[in-house]
Amino acid sequence: MAEPLINRADPESEEAEAEGALAFLRPRFAEERFPWIQVWGYGGSLVLTLGAYFSVVRHVLAPQFLVAAILAMAAGQAALQLGVFMHLRESRGLSWQIVPLALAFFTALGMIGMSIWIMAFKSGVS
Amino acid sequence: MSLELAPEPGRREDLPLELSDEQESVKITGFWMFLVTDVLIFASLFSAYAVYRPRVATGPGPLELFHFGPALLETLLLLTSSFTVGIAIYEMRKGRPGGVMAWTIATLALGAAFVFLEIHEFASYAALGATWHQSAFLSAFYVLVGTHGAHVSFGILWAVTLLVQLARRGLTPVTARKLYTFSLYWHFLDVVWVFIFTVVYLMGKIA
Repeated sequence: MAEPLINRADPESEEAEAEGALAFLRPRFAEERFPWIQVWGYGGSLVLTLGAYFSVVRHVLAPQFLVAAILAMAAGQAALQLGVFMHLRESRGLSWQIVPLALAFFTALGMIGMSIWIMAFKSGVS
Repeated sequence: MSLELAPEPGRREDLPLELSDEQESVKITGFWMFLVTDVLIFASLFSAYAVYRPRVATGPGPLELFHFGPALLETLLLLTSSFTVGIAIYEMRKGRPGGVMAWTIATLALGAAFVFLEIHEFASYAALGATWHQSAFLSAFYVLVGTHGAHVSFGILWAVTLLVQLARRGLTPVTARKLYTFSLYWHFLDVVWVFIFTVVYLMGKIA
């Protein structure tokens, strides 16, 4: 099985001192003898993809719940790719990439959500 | 008497090869910033698709046009290629250039199969008259899915150049950093495709 994540930061460096508010940016590295994490990540993404596919093909839920369920499964897969395969937590110093990436996802959700919302008032706008 | 060499400044041997050099590790952070901008590009295209999806004019809508078979196969190909490039990076961390080469070639083969299927899918829609000037829905569909396909095609060409560099120079902080950024790019495209599969293909079949 996968060995625990090890914080390999130099104990005297600034990232090791990052406590409190910045502790979530501390870099972490996965070390393992067999790529279990990748195998589990691949298995998980297959389960989520086929789960979404069959729940749509078999109409297991009412349409609005089905949409919510498959969007949740897609979000789960995105988290899986970022966490397992993209080594989101790894960096030389603090993992600063997390902050702009989170901002970009927030902006993306805002753009898409607001676009759908404003177009819901069809009679008023178009 | 032994002569101890001072460690190269900016060099951290305790870190993986791609992060060991300060200059190269800054480029990885820079690549994350590029991915941030790419998130926003795809967000704009998804917004356009969400807005134009009902505007089918006289052309077909998602329900009539899409078939699950090719879309599911494309998804499985891309998911598997994301796994193989993940293993390539695992091999790179173990310092095995042969493994990196083999798994990256597998990734490229899967990516090429994906692009081939997508072109085939587009051509089959065009044969039905469903081209991108048919309706706002089709314009948004082709631009969204086509932008993703163009990213994958570019990624294949990029990785071929990286494999040549790997064969010539072996694993160095520079080639390792380049392969690492390629893996970030490829996994990111997989994330985008998961949302295309969900929003375009699966949701297109939910009445």
